[in-house]
Amino acid sequence: MKRRIGIVIAVAAATALVLGGCSSASGGSGAGSATGKPVKGGDLTIARSQDIISMNKTNTFDNNSLRVMEQIMEPLFMVSPDGKTLKPWLASGYTISKDQLTYTINLRKGVKFSNGTPLTAADVKFSIDQDTASGAAGWGFINAAIKQVTAVDASTVQVTVKHPWGPLIADLSLFSNGIVPNNYGGKTAAQFYDAPVGTGPFVWDFWKKGQSLKLTKNANYWQAGKPYLNSVTWTVVPDSNTRKLQLQGNQIDIDDTPDWSSLASLKTTPGVNATTFPSTQLDYIAFNENRAPFNDVHIRTAISDATDRNAMVKAVLFGNGTPAYSMLSPGTPYYDNNAGGATYSVANAKAEMAKSSKPNGFKTTLLIQSGDPNQSSIAQIMQSELKAIGITMTIQQLDPTANKQARLAGNFDMSWNLWTMDIPDPDEWTTWAVNPTGGSNSAFTGYNNPAVIALNAQAAAETDTTKRAALYNQVQEQASKDAFLDYLFYSPYVFASTATVHGFHVTPLGNYQLEDVYKTK
Amino acid sequence: MLHRLRFIPGRLIQSIPVAFGVTLIVFFMARLLPGNPALALLGQRATPESVAALSKQLGLNTPIWEQYFGFLGRIFQGNLGTSITYQQPVTSLLAQAIPVTMSLLGLALLFSLVISIPLAALAAFRPGGARDLGVRAFTLLGQGMPQFWLGIMLILLLAVGLRAFPVGGYGNSAGDHLYYLFLPALTLAITMCPTIIRSLRSSMIDVLESEYVGTAKSKGSYGAALFRGHVLRNAAIPTVSVIGVNLGFLVGGSLVIEKVFALPGLGSMMINAIFTRDFPTIQGVTLFVALFVVVVGILTDVVYTMLDPRVNFGAKEQS
Repeated sequence: MKRRIGIVIAVAAATALVLGGCSSASGGSGAGSATGKPVKGGDLTIARSQDIISMNKTNTFDNNSLRVMEQIMEPLFMVSPDGKTLKPWLASGYTISKDQLTYTINLRKGVKFSNGTPLTAADVKFSIDQDTASGAAGWGFINAAIKQVTAVDASTVQVTVKHPWGPLIADLSLFSNGIVPNNYGGKTAAQFYDAPVGTGPFVWDFWKKGQSLKLTKNANYWQAGKPYLNSVTWTVVPDSNTRKLQLQGNQIDIDDTPDWSSLASLKTTPGVNATTFPSTQLDYIAFNENRAPFNDVHIRTAISDATDRNAMVKAVLFGNGTPAYSMLSPGTPYYDNNAGGATYSVANAKAEMAKSSKPNGFKTTLLIQSGDPNQSSIAQIMQSELKAIGITMTIQQLDPTANKQARLAGNFDMSWNLWTMDIPDPDEWTTWAVNPTGGSNSAFTGYNNPAVIALNAQAAAETDTTKRAALYNQVQEQASKDAFLDYLFYSPYVFASTATVHGFHVTPLGNYQLEDVYKTK
Repeated sequence: MLHRLRFIPGRLIQSIPVAFGVTLIVFFMARLLPGNPALALLGQRATPESVAALSKQLGLNTPIWEQYFGFLGRIFQGNLGTSITYQQPVTSLLAQAIPVTMSLLGLALLFSLVISIPLAALAAFRPGGARDLGVRAFTLLGQGMPQFWLGIMLILLLAVGLRAFPVGGYGNSAGDHLYYLFLPALTLAITMCPTIIRSLRSSMIDVLESEYVGTAKSKGSYGAALFRGHVLRNAAIPTVSVIGVNLGFLVGGSLVIEKVFALPGLGSMMINAIFTRDFPTIQGVTLFVALFVVVVGILTDVVYTMLDPRVNFGAKEQS
């Protein structure tokens, strides 16, 4: 048995290797800095555009809900602030058997639920099993590799996997595997998630639908002295202008996602900190390879070459992002910063067109979501760039749900989309994107390269981080050559807060730990 | 007096087919939208397999006629179904949103009357005069300013600048609600005023030129007494129907205002429901709004009847 107690180094080595020392993923201009002595007390108000939907961790996909439930229910392992590694959270460590099939996880001592009951292995087994049982209608797919979860004794859990599975610890760090009391404490799932109970720093207080949601401090929290805040309230403020004005009027403490256009003015507003945090968001254009001429790699490469990524970063993000040259984002473990994604060159694009099945150009459409000015800008830039290489592109706008319907049905030529990671492991996205049987027919593109599929499967089955890194490099490089997606740009998360807020940090996965946040006068 | 209100039961009965028609149209129109609620709920992780699994779980696979008749049957038990997004009864969601929108409308109506009546009177007493021109300029401005822009300007001036009001939100107690609703109601009122002022002004001018006002004046009535006793009541009659029609539109207009001022009313509920294809919620809100318009129509006629003894809807219907 290989013993790995203490810090989980699941991906640390690979990160160091890939990033070569530049792994500090600190945010921008300082709202996240936790300088000075934390102050106890205070109530934090965060305004954002939409309300939560549900607290059911096993079948809720909406980010606004996830950010709240993460304060109540905690997983066994937690992503590090830079999003690259995992640290034991409700677990204190784990060992893995020689055949790579059995993980023995020790639970942290002295952890209690907010209602005072101690955390036991039975709670852990129940929580993970519930997630697995949600199947296709929930997050169950994330536990697809798990064969069985066994409560060995009160403080030890054994997880066996069907086959060697590199992402297991990352899978267990997902909110859907957050720990709740065994049997929902005797309640039905619906009753339980109406006012969920967990080990997290905050406790459910109330939810006024469409208006606000409040959590209060968990007096039984296992991290001594935390949380600092007495309560956290999320308010629903759909209009970004109103959020900005509320921040300036000190009515709220944090503005979740101000407009890119207002970021510069917020940065210079006295008493306000506007901060960007690296994310895992990749904006891309998908080519439908089931439709000619997108089955032609020259056509896909030509369009990718003709994409002016810098212009998009400027027009859409007001300069607050970076062009994308890999299917993985810099915030994702095993990101290859030399993955060979297309760079902007009209000359190369024209050369590729000449080699293609449509040397004289063709007519096509780009599907985007209606009502989103950012996507309109992207589409307009694409339209003018493609005109230069003989492609006449029309823009098709559908509302978000209709848009998704069209993509699922394969009813598009090219379509805009984005991806963000939920776990600190590339497999969640790579299998979705390159494996036609990964659920989405290769991100709805129909991309099917047996070599890439095999490399990706090999990387997922590998637990050695160095070997995984080499395999994922190959996946990224070959995917770039195949140009199955046109990578556009990586955009950060953006938050604005009053200068009294300290210790607020967002990981590349988008989660934030409010037990570290405090407010000064 | 009471015998003249006998038309009300008849009107209520007439509104049943209207409501039925609305349910029919809304039910099927909502389902004409491409994509289903499962697709909206599953976010970026939606796959054909997961959509099928969740649709089944949500009961979206039953035949559409069965769903419609189920919906109709439940209405008569006061049950509007369960919101697909929130997994909660639509009636309880409506119970939270209706007071917000209705108090916003009520307060806006009150404000617009408080602003409109004096201004219209001011303008009507000397048509073409300086005051009249000033009032007309105000109505032009009020009509020309987009609601969302006016809202933001009021926020900037009164909430951010003077810190006299909150920047959006609804507050937690009844007093709070009034305080939070002040600016949005004022915004709605300012955009509603021009129509009321114009209608009231022209009917006041007509009334002021009428013989009975001449008679009243010759009997020594003047100023406020003349205005209250002889002018306002008679001039108000056409304006009441203008307000009645406008209230229906205002429900739609409050949608924008609710967004700007972050009010959790019917408008924001409806927009979210449409985007997430939450059919039961869409149906619930539309049904309520339809009934609201019907009731406002009836109330308009009631006010008519009370203002003008010559109006007798009941008699017309009986003859």
